[in-house]
Amino acid sequence: MKPFDIVIVGGGGAGLYAAMEAMKTNPALNIAVLSKVYPNRSHTSAAQGGANAALGNKAKDDTVEMHIFDTIKGSDYLADQDAVDILCSEAPKIIRELENMGTPWSRLDDNTIAQRPFGGAGRPRCCYCADKTGHTILQTLYEQCLKKGVIFFNEYFALSLSVNGSRSRGLIAMNMKTGRIEAFPAKAVIFATGGYAKMYWNRSSNAAGNTGDGQAIAYRAGIPMKDMEFVQFHPTGLRKSGLLVTEGARGEGGYLINKDGERFMARYAKEKMELGPRDLVSRSLETEILEGRGFDSPAGKYLHLDLTHLGADLIKSRLPQIREMCMQFEGVDPIEEPIPVRPTAHYSMGGIDTDNFTRTVMEGVYAAGECASVSVHGANRLGGNSLLDILVFGRIAGHTAAEEVGKFASSTISEAELKEQTDAIRGSMDSSGHYERYGELREDLGQTLALNVGIFREASLLKKGIQDIAELKERFKKVRVFDSSDVFNTNLMQVLELKNMLDLAETVAAGASAREESRGSHTRVDFPVRDDAKWHKHTMATLVDGHLSLGEKPVTMGRYELQERIY
Amino acid sequence: MTVPTDQHNELKKDVTFSIFRFNPQVDSKPYFDDYTIPVERGITVLRALNYIKEHIDASISFRAFCQAGICGSCAMRINGLSQLACTAQVWEVLANSREEALIRIEPLRNLPLIKDLIVDMDPLVDKMKRYSNWVDSTMPEASMGKKEFLISEGEFLRYDKATDCILCASCVSECTILRANKAYVSPAVLLKSYRMNVDSRDAIHGQRLAELVKDNGVWDCTHCYRCQESCVKTIPIMDAIHGIREDAIELRGLKDTSGAKHAEAFMSDIEKKGKLIEATLPIRTNGVFWTVQNLLPMAVKMIMKRRTPPPPPLVKSAKGIKIFRGLFREMTEHVKQDHKSHKK
Amino acid sequence: MKRYAYYLSCINESMTKEVDRSIDLWQKDLGIELVKLHEGTCCGGSNLDYVSPKHFALVNARNIALAEKLGLDLIVSCNTCLMTIRSAKKKLDESPELKKEVNDLLKKEGLEYRGTSEVRHLLWVLIDDVGLDTIRQKVKVPLKNYRIAPFYGCHILRPSTVLGHDNPRDPSSLDQLIEALGGQTLPYNHKNRCCGFHTLLVAEQESLNVAAEALNEAMDLKADFIVTPCPLCHTSLDGYQEKALKHAGVARSIPVFHISEMVGLALGYNAKQLGIKRHIVS
Repeated sequence: MKPFDIVIVGGGGAGLYAAMEAMKTNPALNIAVLSKVYPNRSHTSAAQGGANAALGNKAKDDTVEMHIFDTIKGSDYLADQDAVDILCSEAPKIIRELENMGTPWSRLDDNTIAQRPFGGAGRPRCCYCADKTGHTILQTLYEQCLKKGVIFFNEYFALSLSVNGSRSRGLIAMNMKTGRIEAFPAKAVIFATGGYAKMYWNRSSNAAGNTGDGQAIAYRAGIPMKDMEFVQFHPTGLRKSGLLVTEGARGEGGYLINKDGERFMARYAKEKMELGPRDLVSRSLETEILEGRGFDSPAGKYLHLDLTHLGADLIKSRLPQIREMCMQFEGVDPIEEPIPVRPTAHYSMGGIDTDNFTRTVMEGVYAAGECASVSVHGANRLGGNSLLDILVFGRIAGHTAAEEVGKFASSTISEAELKEQTDAIRGSMDSSGHYERYGELREDLGQTLALNVGIFREASLLKKGIQDIAELKERFKKVRVFDSSDVFNTNLMQVLELKNMLDLAETVAAGASAREESRGSHTRVDFPVRDDAKWHKHTMATLVDGHLSLGEKPVTMGRYELQERIY
Repeated sequence: MTVPTDQHNELKKDVTFSIFRFNPQVDSKPYFDDYTIPVERGITVLRALNYIKEHIDASISFRAFCQAGICGSCAMRINGLSQLACTAQVWEVLANSREEALIRIEPLRNLPLIKDLIVDMDPLVDKMKRYSNWVDSTMPEASMGKKEFLISEGEFLRYDKATDCILCASCVSECTILRANKAYVSPAVLLKSYRMNVDSRDAIHGQRLAELVKDNGVWDCTHCYRCQESCVKTIPIMDAIHGIREDAIELRGLKDTSGAKHAEAFMSDIEKKGKLIEATLPIRTNGVFWTVQNLLPMAVKMIMKRRTPPPPPLVKSAKGIKIFRGLFREMTEHVKQDHKSHKK
Repeated sequence: MKRYAYYLSCINESMTKEVDRSIDLWQKDLGIELVKLHEGTCCGGSNLDYVSPKHFALVNARNIALAEKLGLDLIVSCNTCLMTIRSAKKKLDESPELKKEVNDLLKKEGLEYRGTSEVRHLLWVLIDDVGLDTIRQKVKVPLKNYRIAPFYGCHILRPSTVLGHDNPRDPSSLDQLIEALGGQTLPYNHKNRCCGFHTLLVAEQESLNVAAEALNEAMDLKADFIVTPCPLCHTSLDGYQEKALKHAGVARSIPVFHISEMVGLALGYNAKQLGIKRHIVS
């Protein structure tokens, strides 16, 4: 395999933008995008609501500074303020750039890009395309990549970084079509592999493959993870499937109702009501359920998201996809009936620790998008900021890597290392002594996380969670891979994905257990208050000699001092 | 606000899934494996497949990702119909089939098979490249990001539905012409091409159209409507295909390709006689030489059976053709006016 | 006597004259009277709507208006005419501006499109208005358990938003007609597939492949003949049969009938009267 200058792992919004920007920065570079699914399948496609930018189209008095403040407040002051500066300042340009490339943004009456209100935002600044924003952005980026001739290695499953001391030599991955383990020697590797919320399994809105592969690979290579305990629960996941009903439904005016017919958000966020930040709204729903004001069903307890008062026309034009989804997966037409919803694990604020230019501590390794933690989202992400994050930092990653790659020496990945990986995989497929069922382990992991490391956390529960995860990791050593074929072994792939989730789950539970305060999406019933004196810092999780070692990193402050967070 | 109807009839029934299997590493030809499992009402085909994979046979291979009908990974043929497995309800599939408790699962048609239910998407991606399925922006890259193009609601609505396409390839699987000719452009690619062509930000409209009217392109569609009927996002794909043809005729003229000539013949016959002059239709579409070469033996047979269409002078006009012609021509004026104001 | 306006399809006036000829023979036997619209013009087939959507609307509004003037529904014996005119009707019904533009012209001929007449296929009239029971009673020469492959043809089924009579995935009206006439309908996978007619002149090889597949399956099922409600499908499967099968390297043949002929046979008329001798494949 010819050595690459840059290998990008992941073909979603961040990965594709990185590729395009890297090619633009230096057209002479040898760049490839590696993805375990065809890029247009990436989870960016599921984002519905929109991407924030202070364009000032809808609210003429909106400013970048307001967006910055909303984001920092939304993060419960854990976001690095200089990073947030970059995110919000770059936003208007990048949204317009996407538009110039052909993204079909919805429009206002004056034909400019439309914007709508979104959770935790002081002005309506969420740019959208109906309720399929992520989908249209991803399609547009993929189309542009085809136009520019980006080299894709589709359906390659990334396995590990090849590391030489403090540098990376490149990536080792499995070609799904042939089962062969292949080397991708590269001067720079950019991880853009998406989040890890799927570890909550059935209580997650994520795609089946959002298993934190990039984070796990980086973690195992000794790169620190940051703020892993901060998992965002989206308030409105469909009751049966956990699939997402966009915040846009509340942005368009939907109400959250409990079994007494009460619009209960009045008690939790008097001013913002349904449009409080996600962590607050999720906690509110969960509280309503725990205190007995939820509806009951064999599929579990839930509440109502009522859109019936919005009218058929609005729903059909602005929220057609979610209407389809509700009808298909829940048997409910939102025009006629309220939608049964409950919180679902949706986004991971934590991830690979990077600086403001997407660099990790390892030379030649970068990370962008949901798999990274810069951190711009801190303890809680605002709706509409994730699509923005992947675009802005995807671009920065491509640009930075392309500029820096000239300094790095070329390297090769040895045959011996490839053989070692291949043997390890073969070994795991050996049937003798292997009997654990991966499906069971996966469900058990999801259950213990939902229960013990969920929305409301507490010391003894967290301890149980940590224990359970350790047990599951032991059991995993005996997991059985039934499919022995080389061609498209999805059984093997799912087992490897499970390994990634287990490795990361430990950092989530440990971080949650250590952090004795409540901040953003991390709520401790035994430490219900935010404790800035002790805990205004990032949690760092690093693998040292095969063991998890927790550490800390200061939060970069800026123009906004710590204050109480009320909506 | 209605009172919630919480009808959880968690009825179960045993359903047999007959799944297409083929592993090129070990199998000389494909076969079907049957799995019978209890299925509750509301369970999707994908959930059933996942269950079978997890609990019975982990070697069954299929693509699946979002499980929510937006990524397009899990398209496959379910009881013969190409659709997404994650949105196909088992009980609904059974309600629409003659078999009470059997569902046949096969990979999509018209794309090369890799293994079991997984087909190769690259031929489709290659066609997307060939037909420039991207917006080639009129804005130079160096100037991007400063100001957005102003796009009206009217224009947005022209491509809005087309941008719903998730490239699941169900339409590709159902296409009649693609089944007969693997080089055919494909419904999804025609849809995408149309979406690009009606976007005012795109600069290569003419170029893209030139490729679309060539062999194996837009004129080869036989309007069977299978693509539109199977679209998982209910996109009116034929509107896009007709849109491209309308566009091609307007931009490139009525005599551009045999497809265009064929269409133009309808227009002129209706104006002249109100009826098709079928006898000369092949000649006007493809020329004398082609007609003689291809249709002579058939023409002879038809003459013997006295089945030939009447020669042009003998084609009987519709009754009252003169008045009709007047109306027809007045409409032609209307259309000319429309085009003038459209071009402004 | 149920009266209907009858649309004259171009192909039935030229190549497949046997369709109208056979219907003329037996319509009274089933209690229907089809009033021919001699002022009707070509519907534009699958082409006019994109050459000029406005002319398409005008021409077909007029065709329907002619039926409305008589206060009758419009009946059609060709699938593409059916789909085309129904599509036009849908567009006119959904767009008051288009309707007005078209009616401003039509009034010069003393016509007006109001949307009061339905546009239906003769097959639907037989099933829904005449009824299978009546048909069964009127059968004089039952089709002797002939094995019959029902080829519906695309445009009587799809798009279902325009047609909507039969379930496009598993249509049944033609099957029911066959059985009511005493024939044996076969489990024919190609029943809802394409015959390739519309690209015979533009993509001949593909169309022949498509037709050959339909023919081969029917012959594999040992069908005595194929029956179809569309003269275009008939032309592809009968007229082009030899060419298609030769192209596919197959040396057999199978007769193809129009539904009007099949009905006529069951009602006691003979082949010559019905025009069956006019087929290419005997």
